[in-house]
Amino acid sequence: MTQLNRRSLLLAGCAATIVSVAPGARADTGAASGRKLVIVILRGAMDGLAALPKIDDPDIHAHRSALIDPKAITLSDGFALHSAMPGLAALYGAGEASFAPAIAGPYRERSHFEAQDLLECGEISHVTPDGWLNRAMLRAPAAYSAVSIGPSQPLILRGAPVSATSWSPAVLPEASNDTLHRLLDLYENDPVLKPSLTAAVGADLIASGMQGEGMSNGMGGRAGPAQYVPQLEAAGKFLAQPDGPQIAVVSLEGWDTHTGQNNLLQQRLTALDNGIAALKTALGETWKKTAVVAISEFGRTVRVNGGGGTDHGTGGLAILAGGAVKGGRMLGDWPGLKSSALFEDRDLRPAVDARSVFKGLLRDQLGWVSGDLDTDVFHDSASAKAMGGLV
Amino acid sequence: MSRLMGAIAATRFGLGARAGEIDEAASDPRGWLKQQIRPDAAVLPAGDLKSSEQVFAERAADYSMAGGLRPVGGAVDEETQRAVRQRIQREAREGLQREVEARARHAATTPDSFAERWLRFWSNHFTVAARNAQMIGLVGPYEREAIRPHVFGPFASLLGHAVLHPSMLVYLDAARSIGPSTLAAQRRDVGLNENLAREVLELHTLGVGTGYSQDDIIEFAKALTGWTVSGPQTARIAAAGRGGRGGRGQAPALDPGEVVFVEILHEPGARTVLGKSYGGEAKQQAAVILDDLALHPATARHVATKLARHFVADVPSPSTVARLEDVFLQTRGDLSELARAIVDLDEAWEPEQRKFKTPEELLVSAARAAGPQAAFGGAQRQVYTSLAQAPFSAPSPAGWPDDTETWSGADAVKKRLEWANAASRRMPRGRSPLDFLDAALGDLVSPRTRQAVSRAESAEQGLTLALMSPEFQRR
Repeated sequence: MTQLNRRSLLLAGCAATIVSVAPGARADTGAASGRKLVIVILRGAMDGLAALPKIDDPDIHAHRSALIDPKAITLSDGFALHSAMPGLAALYGAGEASFAPAIAGPYRERSHFEAQDLLECGEISHVTPDGWLNRAMLRAPAAYSAVSIGPSQPLILRGAPVSATSWSPAVLPEASNDTLHRLLDLYENDPVLKPSLTAAVGADLIASGMQGEGMSNGMGGRAGPAQYVPQLEAAGKFLAQPDGPQIAVVSLEGWDTHTGQNNLLQQRLTALDNGIAALKTALGETWKKTAVVAISEFGRTVRVNGGGGTDHGTGGLAILAGGAVKGGRMLGDWPGLKSSALFEDRDLRPAVDARSVFKGLLRDQLGWVSGDLDTDVFHDSASAKAMGGLV
Repeated sequence: MSRLMGAIAATRFGLGARAGEIDEAASDPRGWLKQQIRPDAAVLPAGDLKSSEQVFAERAADYSMAGGLRPVGGAVDEETQRAVRQRIQREAREGLQREVEARARHAATTPDSFAERWLRFWSNHFTVAARNAQMIGLVGPYEREAIRPHVFGPFASLLGHAVLHPSMLVYLDAARSIGPSTLAAQRRDVGLNENLAREVLELHTLGVGTGYSQDDIIEFAKALTGWTVSGPQTARIAAAGRGGRGGRGQAPALDPGEVVFVEILHEPGARTVLGKSYGGEAKQQAAVILDDLALHPATARHVATKLARHFVADVPSPSTVARLEDVFLQTRGDLSELARAIVDLDEAWEPEQRKFKTPEELLVSAARAAGPQAAFGGAQRQVYTSLAQAPFSAPSPAGWPDDTETWSGADAVKKRLEWANAASRRMPRGRSPLDFLDAALGDLVSPRTRQAVSRAESAEQGLTLALMSPEFQRR
């Protein structure tokens, strides 16, 4: 048996394993529509008011004139996009991007870790061990699979076994196929290592051709914008495969700008803009059927703090992009920046519930049934109705 | 049975067995651990590593030349500034490399590896991270100065030393937080930063969702104002606070890098935190609040939960947590007593390995079993980096996660295999894979793993399988 044949055999074996543990999944459906969803979690809380300032709001300069980009690109409705993101501005002009400028989940405290967990598990106040995307996939209308980009599995996908894998660029040489076989045999009774190694072997083959494009930000393991482009590009390559997954989850860390925000944000927004462009290129024709949503756990304080930065806030920004998106418009009302309009006199008041956007995308982009979304995917969430017309 | 307990002592409580260590521990496993509970066991001599004051002093010397604030008198041209900046960054990276290597060498060779695990637990609890050029130089000194000497003393003492260490004040922005009603704040357009106060309450003491409010955070942040790090920047702000021009840096009264309390930057007046009023001397306010937080029942619960998670299981039983919580409360947070109580927990000695090693635990245990050269080759940082746990670089103030799911995903296991594959090729020749397995894991090895390793087609493959075995991937 040649090396290649062994590998192919191994891949066939692990693909079968994946499908058999996905309840309700049928191998012959699912990818038919060809539609794709990319969920980008901007960890650390992006300052949406700096990324997309409402420059005609009469109060914005009093609160934070030092944080408004003087070269911001005017879009519409009094909003301007930070000049670090010309690509996204062009997508907006072409009707392939939209923004929700005042969005938040139902959580109203200000802990990063709790807020990210709740954003990912889709709950209001208590964190569950399973993520909303995991619950959604258990109730998928067809055989969907997902990939998360990065070395650890995010909470949004954790929970019951579903067809999901994770991937990030390799640095070290690979083990032989023979060693892989022996390890899979050694892991026969191991509930943790067996599924992980099985999925890794399959993911590696799908991503072949991406070696050597790894991250080299010097310190590695660190959050940072150097990883945005390779991660978003990898997501695009996965989704563009003929039998590729329908959903990708990407975590981009490093948005917690307590001090010296202008420089930090400039780098991150640039990397995000380049990353979305790389994603589009990697997707090729698939871009037309793709919707991307990028969102943080919460926004940041409306007023600048003592260190030229901002602290943990409430209402934030969601970015939607992709050929499938009905773009060129702003989503939701603008609550305004008068002190009396602010949440607890410090934060932007949310006008859109993040769950409404997630539900709208699951329903209209990927075909989920609405009722399930209100009860089983996002528990007790009938008040946050699926937002129509996003795609 | 006692040989199995020896293996558990060396691998679950310790950082992994060196050759012969399992037999050494097996005669009295609990005693072997308890004799490591002594203040000197967690200390790492600085040797030629820099102290935090040296790091600050060097930066202060470079400051004007690098144009960190502004060129002094316009005398320095841009090219010189750039060269100095590059040198600072290079020296910071090299300094971090020396710190990482010294720490790894110590972990690989210390006979007191339970004490070293204990140290690492607390270092992670009070995380600071090398997230920028300034922090890169401060993470190593911080652990040696603020954490190591205090991990077997009262929790209140460890908390105070960690929170008021210059590295933490810089990392969580408190060094630049100024009382909003002070003259300095008004003249310099700077003010309160609540980051440190929030993380002390959420991460270091009470824990999230334990009933403190946004007002408590702000009040505590105000109490912390005034505590900062001496140096040119502090001198300038303080000059503004005194009504001076503040443009030109006055000579700092103290050596750079000392933690100082600058009363004119402190928000005046009494503070109310968790319903209790703190008046008294301005300088004492933060310390008194910290002492109260250290002894708060929510802190006892929070610390007990994290310790039980680390030594027993990702989801420890309520009774285990309650036991450690009791010890914390009864001993007013005596960390030596807590360490002894953990050694005495029956559930920490169950043969089932319930903890999946973090990448760092995996690498350190491999270095102890096979030597640092085999574990890391020549590229220590690259190895850590590929396994997504570069030392001193936790992704957030919460530190590294301590659970199976974070570290056992498909990609993580693939990276571990790539590492094991390379490490097995660096191991000393002449030692059989089975000998390695026995020395590293003792009676923890299952028949299935023993068989797989013994049937390997080469020594390298056998060692790869041993390193990747379910037993070596766990503790």
